[in-house]
Amino acid sequence: MLASFRAELLKIRKRPATWVLALVWFVLLVLFGYVFTYSFAANPPDPPENQPAAVQQQQEALNEQLLNGLLPENLLENLFTNGTFNLGAAIVLILGAMAAGSEYGWGTLKTSLTQRPSRFGLLAGKALALAVFLVLFVALGLAAGALSSYGVALLEDAAVEWPPLEELAKAAGVGVLTLGVWGFLGFALAMLFRGTALAIGLGLAWALAVENTIALLPIDSDWWESFRRLTLGENTASLGSIFGDPNPAFGIPEPLVEPERAAITLGLYVAIFAALSLFLLLRRDVT
Amino acid sequence: MAATVSREPGREERRPSPLVETHGLTKRYGSRITAVRELDLTVKRGEVYGFLGPNGAGKTTTLRMLLGLIRPTSGEARVLGEKPGSPAGLEKVGALVESPAFYPYLSGRDNLRVMARYSGAPRSRIGEVLDQVELSGRAKDKFKKYSLGMKQRLGVAAALLKDPELLILDEPTNGLDPKGMADMRGLIRRLGRGDRTVLLSSHLLGEVEQICDRIGVISKGSLVAEGSIAELRGRQGLLVRAEPVEEAARIAERLAGVEEVAVADGALRLRTNPDRAAEINAKLVSAGLRVSELRPAGQSLEEAFLELTGGETV
Ligand SMILES: Nc1ncnc2c1ncn2[C@@H]1O[C@H](COP(=O)(O)OP(=O)(O)OP(=O)(O)O)[C@@H](O)[C@H]1O
Ligand SMILES: [Mg+2]
Repeated sequence: MLASFRAELLKIRKRPATWVLALVWFVLLVLFGYVFTYSFAANPPDPPENQPAAVQQQQEALNEQLLNGLLPENLLENLFTNGTFNLGAAIVLILGAMAAGSEYGWGTLKTSLTQRPSRFGLLAGKALALAVFLVLFVALGLAAGALSSYGVALLEDAAVEWPPLEELAKAAGVGVLTLGVWGFLGFALAMLFRGTALAIGLGLAWALAVENTIALLPIDSDWWESFRRLTLGENTASLGSIFGDPNPAFGIPEPLVEPERAAITLGLYVAIFAALSLFLLLRRDVT
Repeated sequence: MAATVSREPGREERRPSPLVETHGLTKRYGSRITAVRELDLTVKRGEVYGFLGPNGAGKTTTLRMLLGLIRPTSGEARVLGEKPGSPAGLEKVGALVESPAFYPYLSGRDNLRVMARYSGAPRSRIGEVLDQVELSGRAKDKFKKYSLGMKQRLGVAAALLKDPELLILDEPTNGLDPKGMADMRGLIRRLGRGDRTVLLSSHLLGEVEQICDRIGVISKGSLVAEGSIAELRGRQGLLVRAEPVEEAARIAERLAGVEEVAVADGALRLRTNPDRAAEINAKLVSAGLRVSELRPAGQSLEEAFLELTGGETV
């Protein structure tokens, strides 16, 4: 397994697509997490001439609030509670799908398996290497947020106060679970479909369209709510909520799931996705 | 027809257990396709074994089963005494199955680094195998930039990483130009020297004839013959042109030691020992026949092959 892990690390590390995804992740986070909000809040559009003073004040207070949310002390609220970190779902879904699916596309699975590793060892090494890169992507996301918020503090001449270490450690855990569940979903889908294309297509459709639709459908019943409690988005959102109240400007609903349960659910999902991948590899012919 | 004569019987006596042995090996896909049917195969230590069959005969399917990539529907196989595909069984087996498959974005050398990590081969082997397949000069180039011949050679290099006792090569000359083919065959012959056993699949008769000690012929999933080239070439005979041909045929039929007489294109084909040519000639002449041609006419390996595979071209 360790040998397979090292083989897999070499493959992911040397793959250009890995670093393209890392770059896209960094840029997305900086843009959507900071640049857009900042340019809106710092340069508000000119108010219409006959706007009442009360509305004007309200507008200014909101901008103030928005700017405040971008400062280092609010790093974790901005990244997690506001859902910015979930932008990474699509990115790591692709990363996970590539790690598993490309082997089928290139036919390299047979080349690797005839070298000697057991199927279990090969898959465990693969999953472990993916986990390492998911952790790196979490670190990259946190770093992108930290750098951006530092930049905002400099521009606004605000004091730089970081969240306490304990909160940062929690954030690392939440980040790993958030990206982990999507990364391993991509991994399992690619094993299931024996390729990247369908896995990425269906995975993205689920992440971007289906889950959001499920959350918005006005169905009022117990079983629907218990179903919604199982979706990945509800659970990651619940974990994100532990860092503070969401900014009302973003209109984020109350989480359905309690954070402890969400952490367990997400952990179970990762385990299930990994187990499913292993089951598929052990059972199926490699042609 | 399952003769088992090796060119070097001395070697087998020392290590009697066959390197590869299958009994009733069968692979079905769905209910309609039987890719491999009741295959009994024996590959002995030190030989270069040619696994010959037309397209779709089941060669690749068999080799995949020997490597544990696919599971047989029934029957069993032992490779180096182990279950196919188990890490212990693969320890001394190197293989190139179907087309060479590697990571396109990695260089040849990095691809071998990945494979060496999987196999546990020491890093020093990478340079050695690159030299062996004469790819050292291009080792830094990306796999996707390789020509087909270079890809094929990288596949052989990866198969050699473990310094295997058994080398399994599935149509390694497929798609190569004549020079590439000749080079690859030279390489395989070199690799097959000494104690190493090579199991080479091919749909080219001339190829296995050049390289292999022993051949197994597979057709429509079944092994239809196994033996040395000489054995497969089979029964020898004589071609006789004599006038009148019907009379000649009647006389020939009565000769002792002539197993079969056939008339084709105005000539006789006798299945008999070619050494009897002079004697047969004398008999025909003394009966008053005019003999214009008389020569040994062994069934060519090609004819034998066509007969075995039911006329499918190779
Ligand atoms: N995964 C599969 N699913 C269904 N049928 C298959 C599969 N793999 C192989 N076959 C069938 O099994 C038969 C044997 O195929 P195989 O690839 O073993 O032949 P081969 O001797 O290697 O041929 P070639 O010389 O063309 O490589 C063919 O009829 C093929 O269509
Ligand atoms: Mg084949």
